[in-house]
Amino acid sequence: MKLASALDRRRHLTGYAFVTPTILVIVAILVYPVIQSVVLSFGQSSIDGSTGYTFVGLKHYASLMENERFWNALTVTLIFTVLTIPLELALGIGLALILNEHFKGKGLARLAVLFPWALPTALNTLMWRWMYNADFGLFNAVALQTGIADKPINWLGDPTLAMLSMVIVAVWKTSSFMALIILAGLQSIPKDLYEAGRMDGMTRWQEFREITLPLLKGPILVALVIRSMDALRTFELPYNLTDGGPVTATESLSLYAYKVIFDFIDFNFGAAVVVIQFLVIFALSLVYILALRPKD
Amino acid sequence: MKTRPRIGLYLLVALSVVISFLPIVWLILTSMKTTAGIYAWPPQYIPSPFTLENYIKILRDSPELLLYVLNSFIVGVGCTAVTLGIGGLAGYALSRLRLKYAAALMVAILAVSMFPPVSLLPSLFQNFLEAGLLNTYQGLILAHTGLFLPFAVWMLASYFATLPTEIEEAAKMDGMGTLRIFLTVVIPLSWPGFVATGLIVFIFSWNEFPLALVLMSQNAMRTAPVGISLYPGEYAFPWETISTATVIAIVPILIITAIFQKQIVGGLTAGAVK
Amino acid sequence: MATVTLTNIEKKYGAVRAVEHFDLEVNDGEFLVLLGPSGCGKSTTLRMIAGLESITAGDLLIGGKRMNEVEPKDRGVAMVFQSYALYPHKTVFDNMATALKLQRVPKDEIKRRVGEAATLLSLTELLDRKPAALSGGQRQRVAIGRAIVRTPEVFLFDEPLSNLDAKLRVRMRMELQELHRRLGVTSVYVTHDQVEAMTLADRIVVMDSGRIAQVGTPRDVYERPATEFVAGFIGSPAMNFIPLRREGSAWKAEDGTIAFDTLPFDTTGCDRVILGIRPEHIEIGAASETAANAYPARVRLAELHGADALLDLTVGCVQMLARVGGADHPTEGTELSMVIPPRLMHAFDPATGKALPQG
Ligand SMILES: Nc1ncnc2c1ncn2[C@@H]1O[C@H](COP(=O)(O)OP(=O)(O)OP(=O)(O)O)[C@@H](O)[C@H]1O
Ligand SMILES: [Mg+2]
Repeated sequence: MKLASALDRRRHLTGYAFVTPTILVIVAILVYPVIQSVVLSFGQSSIDGSTGYTFVGLKHYASLMENERFWNALTVTLIFTVLTIPLELALGIGLALILNEHFKGKGLARLAVLFPWALPTALNTLMWRWMYNADFGLFNAVALQTGIADKPINWLGDPTLAMLSMVIVAVWKTSSFMALIILAGLQSIPKDLYEAGRMDGMTRWQEFREITLPLLKGPILVALVIRSMDALRTFELPYNLTDGGPVTATESLSLYAYKVIFDFIDFNFGAAVVVIQFLVIFALSLVYILALRPKD
Repeated sequence: MKTRPRIGLYLLVALSVVISFLPIVWLILTSMKTTAGIYAWPPQYIPSPFTLENYIKILRDSPELLLYVLNSFIVGVGCTAVTLGIGGLAGYALSRLRLKYAAALMVAILAVSMFPPVSLLPSLFQNFLEAGLLNTYQGLILAHTGLFLPFAVWMLASYFATLPTEIEEAAKMDGMGTLRIFLTVVIPLSWPGFVATGLIVFIFSWNEFPLALVLMSQNAMRTAPVGISLYPGEYAFPWETISTATVIAIVPILIITAIFQKQIVGGLTAGAVK
Repeated sequence: MATVTLTNIEKKYGAVRAVEHFDLEVNDGEFLVLLGPSGCGKSTTLRMIAGLESITAGDLLIGGKRMNEVEPKDRGVAMVFQSYALYPHKTVFDNMATALKLQRVPKDEIKRRVGEAATLLSLTELLDRKPAALSGGQRQRVAIGRAIVRTPEVFLFDEPLSNLDAKLRVRMRMELQELHRRLGVTSVYVTHDQVEAMTLADRIVVMDSGRIAQVGTPRDVYERPATEFVAGFIGSPAMNFIPLRREGSAWKAEDGTIAFDTLPFDTTGCDRVILGIRPEHIEIGAASETAANAYPARVRLAELHGADALLDLTVGCVQMLARVGGADHPTEGTELSMVIPPRLMHAFDPATGKALPQG
């Protein structure tokens, strides 16, 4: 449709001029590279992928399907996501309910909750790796001195323990993010709803079930989806904690893709891994957009 | 009514605070131990003796660790400035200028923000290599700007939407053009929104890992998270240096979060609750 | 100073027609009030004149020049907003001077003009303050001052007094009247407050869902409402409406309690009419009253409002509101007679809502 009025046309012209720099940067950094990754994944080129492109169709995808390490990375990523999200949600709701109470030192408590989120994951991971350290770490020191364990626990060296250790770091860092979003949701619930509930004779548990939880659905959903997407693309956590080990017990998709591209220097194959990961996340982001779409 | 036991509450609060701070406190304690203290048995929970030697050693022997922090700072400030500048314009246009495709653009921007950074790596690396942007501040600033613009546009747009329209209309009647209105009326009125957005973008940039790892591969150009993570080399992990460097790298963030707690929390949670 | 002419103006938001078939000529120096219920399109109309909304169809002329595509600043209009819309980070002086600075008016000229406006509005003492340090009334005066210094051809006001408390509103209303008398600038003023409209307007435009329902002097719209909508909207409390049916040569209400042998209106072609009578025009008599158009009524509720009282009357199955003197008003349950003076009646065609001409 053409805009009938010159006033509207001028406004649109200015508006799109304002938007243009942002669009350009987003296209250059986000959209175009993703398209390029797709193109790379269907072809064969020189080792760094920059010259001599020939189209090979689904070849890389076919060999991916037979690649055990890829399936392992996909499984590790999904297990990691499925383990962290419910824990984070439960802890997040708990923390939010605590922070919603009135008590002395609330500011400090809130700050304590914010810190793990605000610090770089890479460095958080280093701190935990130090605490997990089998020989000199805090955990084993306490475990041995108190007699909980009689020999050092190999936190990062045992496949199952390593996964659990990684989950703990993730939950520690991001429960706070959940908590903050849920807390904001809690604080947006009108007080008189609770007063009405009290007049109706609700118990605290009924209040939580009948008033709090239904009204928190929106914020919880948003937090869940943001966090699931973060978990599905987790990179520096395994990179710094275990480097994917022992062997490949904690090798996430992102980490695997990174290794294929920059350690094995296979850009085309790596691009295929990246595209699959992208599709998994894209499916989830569709849910996100549908959930966030304005209702009218 | 106020007779419910508060002790349970305080215990829970104390527990959360302790768990939140534990790794950081342990790290700081480690950084103040002597090398012998770090590897001692029985373990030293409290450094004895307390020493600042590790800090002095870093300043004297490992200037690159400080360089990493400086790099992070340059990239963070640059990325924040560019993001606020162009993201502010876009957010304003999308929330206020009643563009026909504003809603569609906002959704598109939200959608691309979900691209996993690693999926950008193969082609970003090649493009930056060709453009000579690898191992440059401009390069990583540009990459981080692209990564965090969607967030900034959304956050600023929703902030602008809370301002009354009439002041801008009055400015228009006074004869201001749209750009002038944005610069001289909207920005002064919405600086809390810019502060909150800027702080979060700065933190995001400071913390970003995969792109910084790949696009700044030269030791002298590394950002703090990457530089410290890669510092030790292959086998031995010098925890006394690592812990000290980490403390130095997180202190700026700790200070920023402590001071601007309200703005950051407000900004982070604004979108989710609406 | 200038005339403002709107010819067949229309505004669409997508499929929504906010304003349509809008024809109006605002005379030079006139104070014209747009009045109507919430959402009827008053602000939209005003903002089209200002240039803040584009015009979907039709022509807007200011001082004879077509302005549809002209930027707001070049239309020679100034606007006063409901929320004052002052720049919070600028002083009163700078708020008033901004437009002139942008027009590159010389500094001392700006000083002079702002000074004059400030004197006119008794703002001289406040020129260095920021808006946050002003009272509501003072802020409103600054907003008016900002409009005045530009010496516009046309003033536009969008409910400028509705954020003020009742007392201040009355005072500012009088100041506006005084100001208009002095400056004589063509003004278009939006309000949904009838009293404001009645007291300020040379002419009132009553709007109803995007269209003009009636244009006329305050007296016109009160005494000779052109439609049932205008009749019901103007006047407080609202006019009573009684649906009547023709029965032979007479007109009767539903249950026959209210009946007229003849109506003083041209009712040719109507089987039904809606009779209107304002509460303040109903007369109350003793129960024994036998005059023509006197009906036995019972006071269901009586509310004393100070100088006068409102009676909620039951006449058969019809409920009527009457306004009477507050002293010694009839109490609840009183039986009395209600008289409807024929010369103060209105009648409307139920099909079209149009007033029936006196006949
Ligand atoms: N941007 C818009 N998009 C869609 N519809 C709109 C828009 N602006 C106004 N409208 C509609 O146009 C109609 C007229 O609105 P307008 O603001 O002119 O009413 P008004 O008479 O000023 O009411 P009020 O007394 O409440 O201010 C309303 O039904 C409104 O919902
Ligand atoms: Mg209005």
